[in-house]
Order: sequence, then C-alpha cells, then structure tokens
Amino acid sequence: MNVELEVKNLSFYYAGCSEPSLKNINFPIYKQKVTALIGPSGCGKTTVLRCFNRMHDLYPGNRYEGEILFRGRNILAPDVDLIELRTKIGMVFQKPTPFPMSIFDNVAYGLKLRGIKNKKELAERVEKALREAALWDEVKDKLKESGLSLSGGQQQRLCIARAIAVEPEVLLFDEPTSALDPISSAKIEDLIIQLKEKITIVIVTHNMQQAARISDFTAFMYLGELVEFGPTEKIFTNPEKKLTEDYITGRFG
Amino acid sequence: MRERVFKVRKLTSAIILTITGLCALWGIFWLFFIIFDVIRHGIASVNLSLFLETPTPPGEPGGGLKHAFIGHFLITLGAISLGIPLGIFAGTFLAEYGRNYRISKVISFLADTMITVPAILVGAFVFAIMVRPLGHFSGWSGSVALAIIMLPVVIRATEHMLKLVPWTMREAAFALGAPYYKVILQVLYPAIKMGLLTGAILAIAREIGEAAPLLFTSFNNNFLSYNMSGPMASLTVTIFVYAMGPYDYWHTQAWAAAFVIAMTILILNFIARIILKGGKYYY
Amino acid sequence: MNPRFGIARKLDYFIDKLFFLITFLGASLVPLLLIGILLVFLKEASLAFQKFGFVSFILSSEWDPVFEKFGGAVPLTGTIIVAFIAVTVGVPIALGIAIFVSEVCPIFLKQPIRLTVDLLAAIPSIIYGLWGLFTLAPIHARYIEPFLQKVFTPIPFLGKLFEGTPLGIDLLTAGIILSIMIIPFTASIAIEAFYLVPRVLKESTYGMGATKWEVIKDVMFPYCRIGIFGGIGLSLGRALGETMAVAFVLGNINKFPTSLLTPTTTVTVKLANEFTEADKDIHLSALFYLALLLYATSLLIIGLSKYLILRVRGK
Repeated sequence: MNVELEVKNLSFYYAGCSEPSLKNINFPIYKQKVTALIGPSGCGKTTVLRCFNRMHDLYPGNRYEGEILFRGRNILAPDVDLIELRTKIGMVFQKPTPFPMSIFDNVAYGLKLRGIKNKKELAERVEKALREAALWDEVKDKLKESGLSLSGGQQQRLCIARAIAVEPEVLLFDEPTSALDPISSAKIEDLIIQLKEKITIVIVTHNMQQAARISDFTAFMYLGELVEFGPTEKIFTNPEKKLTEDYITGRFG
Repeated sequence: MRERVFKVRKLTSAIILTITGLCALWGIFWLFFIIFDVIRHGIASVNLSLFLETPTPPGEPGGGLKHAFIGHFLITLGAISLGIPLGIFAGTFLAEYGRNYRISKVISFLADTMITVPAILVGAFVFAIMVRPLGHFSGWSGSVALAIIMLPVVIRATEHMLKLVPWTMREAAFALGAPYYKVILQVLYPAIKMGLLTGAILAIAREIGEAAPLLFTSFNNNFLSYNMSGPMASLTVTIFVYAMGPYDYWHTQAWAAAFVIAMTILILNFIARIILKGGKYYY
Repeated sequence: MNPRFGIARKLDYFIDKLFFLITFLGASLVPLLLIGILLVFLKEASLAFQKFGFVSFILSSEWDPVFEKFGGAVPLTGTIIVAFIAVTVGVPIALGIAIFVSEVCPIFLKQPIRLTVDLLAAIPSIIYGLWGLFTLAPIHARYIEPFLQKVFTPIPFLGKLFEGTPLGIDLLTAGIILSIMIIPFTASIAIEAFYLVPRVLKESTYGMGATKWEVIKDVMFPYCRIGIFGGIGLSLGRALGETMAVAFVLGNINKFPTSLLTPTTTVTVKLANEFTEADKDIHLSALFYLALLLYATSLLIIGLSKYLILRVRGK
C-alpha cells in the first residue's frame, strides 16, 4: 500500500482566530483506497478536507501550520501553483452545484480549463466520465440540456462526472450524500466504491454507517484533534480509544 | 363607560384606515389621470410623419421629430455602451475581487447615494469637463452624462445579483482549477444573465426619460444630424423646448413625443417584469 | 505535464491581475466621480465666491446679469419651499398608502397596488412637467385655486398664502406635482420598513386588545421610525434636485414668492433656463455656485437618509 498524501503536524487557524481549529493532525491517505473522516459537528473534518486542495486560500487570513506531503512535495507551501494542484486533487461538494451550462459543457469545463479544445477528444472524455459516474445512460440523449434539468441525485453525479473528467489522482468528497434521498445516496456510494480502483478517495461524512460501508480507512476527529486513525473494520469493531467507542456507539454526537 | 371608550377606539381605527385606503386611491387616481392624459393628447398626434419627417421652420405647422428620435437613439446608445460595461465591471469588483476589502462597502454605499444625485447637476458637471474645454455641445457629452446617471444603478444591480449566487458554485469552479476571472466570466456571469438583463432594461427605461442632463451637454439641434461631436436633438429636450414655446403645433408634437416615451418605458418595464417572472431563476 | 501548461498558467495569472485592475478602476469611478463633481463645482464657483462671499450670496436676492450682481436667496428659498410643500403633502399620503398595502388591503390587491406605485415611479419627470403645464396648471387656475382663495381669504393668517392671481404657474402647482412624484419612493421604503416589523410584536399587541390603528401607531411606527425618517429624507433629497417636473410650471421669475400662488424659481429651474444663455463668466460662475450648494446639500441629506435606511436593514 502506497501513501498518496501524508498529513504531518497539521494545524489550522481560521482568519482572526487565535485558537487553532485543527491541532497537530497526523495521518496518511493511502493510494487507491477510501479514507473516511468522521466525527461530530464542528470537529474539523471538513476543515481538514479543504486543506488538501487549499480551498481555505479563497478566504484571506486563514493560516496553515505543518505540512501535507503529496508525492514528496509539501502542498501547503506558499509557492505551490494552486491551479495545478487542483487539477490533481479534485473535490465534490455537499450541495450539487451544476454550472449554468449544458450537461456536456459542465463535464467538459475542467477539460477546457486544461486547454483541451479538440471536439472529438472532449466528446470522448465527457462520455467516459459520465459512464464512470453512472450517469451516461440517463443523459446521453440530452447532453445539450441545462444541468439544472436533472434531479438532485443526478446533479450530484453530474458534479462527480465533472470532477473525474480531468482524471485527478485524488478526489475529495464533502458529505456528498447529505442532501440526497436514500436511493440516490446508495447509487453514489456504489460509485465511490468503483472509483477507488483508479482514484484515491477521501470522504467526509457524518453518517457513520456510510463510513463503515464504503471506506477502507477511517479517521475519527473530535474538537480539532485526530483521536484515532486506522482500518475501518478495526475502528468500528475494536477501537482503541474510549472516545472513539463512545462516538461509534452513539453515546454522543 | 369602557364599552364607549372601546367603541370610540374602534371607530378611530376604522376612520383612519379608511383614510389610508383613500390615500391609495389618490395615488391610483393620479397615475391613471396622467397616463390617460398622455394617451389622450398623444395618440391623436402620433402619426407616421412624426417619425419620418424633420421639423419645419418655426411657425410653420407640420413636420416631424425624426431628428429627435434618431438623436435620442444615438445618445442613448452611447450612454449604454459606456455605462453598462463599466457598471458591470464595477459591480463585479465590489462583489468578487474586492469583497473582503472595507473600501468595497464604502463604495457600495456611495453608489447607492449616487443614484439620487440631481440629474441636472450631472449635466452641469459634464458641461464643465467636456463641453467647455471642447468648445461646443456634443452628443458624446450627452452620452457621458447619461452614462454617469446609469452607472450606479447598474453597479448595484450587478453587485446584488452576484451576491445572490451561492458560494459553493464558485468553490466548485475553483476546485476544478479555474482562475478567478474564468470563474466570473464563465460561471458567474451566465448564472446572473437574466437578472442582469432585467437590470439593464430597467436602467435604460429610467434613462430614456431624462432631460435635465442633456440640456447643457447635447443641447439641441433643429436639424437631422448623425454627428455625435456636435449638438444633437433629443426627444426630451425637444419636449421641453416645444412645450414652452409659443406654437400650438409644437405643443401637439411635444405630447406626441411624450406619448412615445411613456409607451416605450411602459413596454420596457413590462418586458423586464415578464422576464423576471417567467425566466428561470438560477438558484 | 504538457509544457503548454506553464505558459497557459502564467497567462491565466496575468489576465487575472488585469481583470482585477479593470474591475477596480470601474469601482473607483464612483468615489472619483462624486469627488470630481465637487471639485469641479468648487473651481467653477470660485469666481462668484470670491466676488460675493458666502453669507451675502445666500442672503442677496438680486440676480442681475447686466450689472453682474448675483445672489442666490430667491432660488434657494424657492427650492426649499417647493420641496417643503412636496414633502408635507406627499409623505403622509405615501405613508397612508404604505399602511394600506401592508396592513389593510386584502391580499389580492397588494400586488396590483404595488405595481401601480412602481409605475408611478417609472414615469419620467418630464412627462410630469408637461402634464403639469398643460393639464394641471389650467385646472388649478380655473377651479382649484379660486376655490382655495374663496375658502382661505377670510382666515387671517392662511389667507395670505392664497393671495395673487391664480394663473396656475406657481408654487402650489409645482409643489403638488412634486408631491405626487415622491409618493412612490417614500411608499416603497415605508412598505419595506413595515415588513420588517416582527410578527410577534404585532401579535402580542393585538392580543392585548389593541385596534389595528393602535398597533400601527404605537408599535409599528416607533419600530420603523428610523427607516421612515430615512425614506422622508430621501424624498426630500429628490424633491430638492428635481428639475423638469417643476421647470414647466414655476416660471423662473427671480422674485420672492409672496404667496403660494405666485411664480418664482428654484436652483434647478434657474440652472435649466439660464445655463446655456449665460455668456458672462461671472453669471456662469454664480450658477455653478448655486449648483455647488445644491450638490452639497443633496449629498448630505441623501447620504444621511441612506445611512439611516442601512441601519434599519442591518437590524
């Protein structure tokens, strides 16, 4: 098992806060595995996720401490090209946000950003991404229609297709099914399990059952600290820390 | 005793509320009166020659306002090409690039205030900075004056529309590796397309009826002219001149022009509100 | 990694900075223009200021282009009086409409009435002026003003207000037209302010047995006080700066009005009529002096009002 990303002594301060929201986090993300981040609201799991693609940089005043190594390079360094980073580490958000364009253009957006103009190539890669996102059959006849014409679950799969069209190495999921109905959620969970064959996946979820179902590794966080990290099966059946056990069994959160 | 006091209170309330109803009637009454009058006076005098002919020498009945229609159109076109792009850019700064700087809030407030600045003062300003140095009136200076008046309206509309777009949309684009300008041009602007169009139409509807800022910028011209570097006729200034003038046929033509302006504004408002209602709101 | 990437990336960052600059310049136009107008007016008015000073300019009612003596008392007073009439007549009616729409009228009427109010706002001032000249002024001259004269002349103090020949081209007509013009704005702001009153507040007052008017008077008005003042201030600001609606019916006579039924002039009307005819520098400078005074006053009143309204929205 290779380590794709290594979080080392990561601390994070939101703008204007003297107290860190993340305190000295250390854990690895293994290549082509699904790692779940779980914990009660406010524990910092989404904050950690957004460090991986430096989303926090969008809001001035945020501060990182420590390192996240991606293939040996620290991606938290100030000289990192964010645009390039984000072509390798993609993100799917909680709320489906299709762009105000056609379904085709939505999926092709990332590709066009990378300078791909060849119509044939675009069409091929869009179809490939939509197939991988298990959406192709449902939309192949209406690629020119607006992305908004799809249902919530379909929109989220569209966003996933959009994210995987650029063939990232890592895909971050921020509570991707919390806004969806159970059937759509199940489809997306299946999708994630399939995707991990080629892509490393990190998923934040407040749904423990979901984490247990689809992840290989789990990190449990509480109040900005990493309480425990390990193989999912171990965390859920035989956790080492009492806090973890309490959370898993539903005693709080 | 308490019964009576209560009855008095109820009566007072009923009376006052009836008065408010009368106030509403007062407003509706004037609206209909004015519109009715404009239609009554205008529709009789609106004929094809109004649009197709140029004015006759003063005193001779007949002729039309072709020069004023064309002049007004050209001046408005100039104003739109200046005011709308600048307004959209400015609004974009306030809502996007500059959203974290305090100065954006200040500028936003100033723009809001600027909307109500007396139009005639804008005309005086443009007179001082354009007409005097250049030595003559011009259609361009009229366009500049109108553009200055449009600017804050477009800025506020753009800023407001952009702020309505949820942040996740921007983040999704950034997460794909897009630079900010592409997020704005390729994702945000398409998202607010309808709202911007509505705002633009309403801004144009407002500014078609302006006369004061044109009085000393584009001034007036009794002849048909396409030359924007010289004085140009406009419908509104023509109404002013004709209405205050001595000839009856001038008065009739003033009403006709007013009618055309009023109808255009009504139609534009109608379009804007239908688009607003019928168009899909993106979010 | 595609080598084209590196160049494309550099181009992206460059264009981003460029766009930032363009949008920033656009935004900076706002303060630049506002300050620019002030500076230009100051410069243009300096000639008149040097010659006439401040206090004497405001107090002098002479306006003589031939002998080059200028004083702004008449137009300044005219502006204030016309605005005062407009606000005194228009604001209560606007508030009445606002109350009606928010609290009284049945739901199916709300939208149509609001539409009517919006349409009233969309009518350009020149049409108000035209209509005022050809329709309202004659009506005033023939019916309304003689009637008012008959009613008020016996009354000692008020009678003086209605002296003079009722020609229709006077303060009263101008004031009435202006009052109609400011109704939509004030009404809209008041409606918005009323909308912000928390339902709980109203319901608890009703629960104590208050009548509808008492709820409005004792709860809503105090709560919305600031916003409504802001709305009134805005109408005042607009009334001060309105040109075309009054230019047709005021006459531009540089004499103090002796009653409501005499013609006079305002700053805006004077500017509209004399700007292009002023061939002497001092004449033009005096006009700019008036413009400067109007500009400063308008900005202050409008700025203050907008600030008040902002405070209310912020709640």
